[in-house]
Amino acid sequence: MKKVIHWKFTLILLIVGFMTAVQYNSMKSPEQRDTRDIWTIRQELSNEKQFHSELLSEIRELDNTIKTYKSLSDENTGKALMETVDKLHRQAGMTDVEGPGIIIEVRPSAESIALGAPITDISPDLLTRFVNEVNRYKGFTLEIDGKRFTTLSSIRDINGITTVNGLNVSKPPFSMKIISSSLKESEKMYNYLAASPIHDDFYLDNLLLDIRKPEASIEIRGFPERFDNQFLEEMPKGE
Amino acid sequence: MTMWLPLLGLMLGISLGLLSDIQIPQIYNNYLSIAVLAALDTLFGGIRAYLQQVYDDKVFVSGFFFNIVLAAVLAFLGVHLGVDLYLAAVFAFGVRLFQNIAVIRRILLTKWTERSKHSNTNAPE
Repeated sequence: MKKVIHWKFTLILLIVGFMTAVQYNSMKSPEQRDTRDIWTIRQELSNEKQFHSELLSEIRELDNTIKTYKSLSDENTGKALMETVDKLHRQAGMTDVEGPGIIIEVRPSAESIALGAPITDISPDLLTRFVNEVNRYKGFTLEIDGKRFTTLSSIRDINGITTVNGLNVSKPPFSMKIISSSLKESEKMYNYLAASPIHDDFYLDNLLLDIRKPEASIEIRGFPERFDNQFLEEMPKGE
Repeated sequence: MTMWLPLLGLMLGISLGLLSDIQIPQIYNNYLSIAVLAALDTLFGGIRAYLQQVYDDKVFVSGFFFNIVLAAVLAFLGVHLGVDLYLAAVFAFGVRLFQNIAVIRRILLTKWTERSKHSNTNAPE
């Protein structure tokens, strides 16, 4: 009898302890006070709205692709697939691109030439900073000293030499090209870069950023290397 | 030895609750707090009954669950009627909790004084 009482007490105490602990847990985390003012919230709202519209346009694009697949008869399916592959290649930066854009030349500054300072490579940090600055704008194509800069590209220091995609960036002067979706966008980017504080960063490294006026048509070469496909495998035929 | 078993259960329950990191939503906080109160009330009632040797298994276990459910129902009703009925439960359980603990304290005190008297009378022999 006594043992039974103890077991029941134990069980009930276990439940009581559990409930108390859960209650403690729930009370312990106080609600985070929302201290944002109306403008911060508006800002966040607009960010979310932008995200929303981006997602919507993506969905629309994919819907279009599905429609193309559906409307095509069997013999044309291959063609549709090829089109998709082409589009993906374009997106990945493997094809040559031509369009309105600006050419930027990086030169050693006049002072450093006058003082006879040795011309050094542009540092990877500075180049990354520049790319980040340009990255404020969407939908552009960038080439650094003849090397196509894609989302997969890397800017690194290899044995003291700055490289893009593993290829050496030549000592200044060299040029960079940025193609935008329209001439208007190019002008916007030109204006932005002309007033950007990135010039000071370049000047600290004895370099000048010479931004030329937007041109109606410039050309950027594609990313010449093939991509490694590590995870996707072709299915054996007939299975 | 068996005295420690309930305590072990309590420890196990607490650590289980803390480690599982369960959090119940804010709106159900009232229910849980009142359920905890009801559980504590029943528990101390059980201990008192045990010490007074009127403990009944069925009364204890049924009381435990019934009180919890009743308290939750009262709180629920209170929320929907716009009357803070859960305060009634808090009051009732609170008063009973104090009474029960007072009774337990007295019983333990008497037991303790009796025991020390015994040991005093036993000492000179």
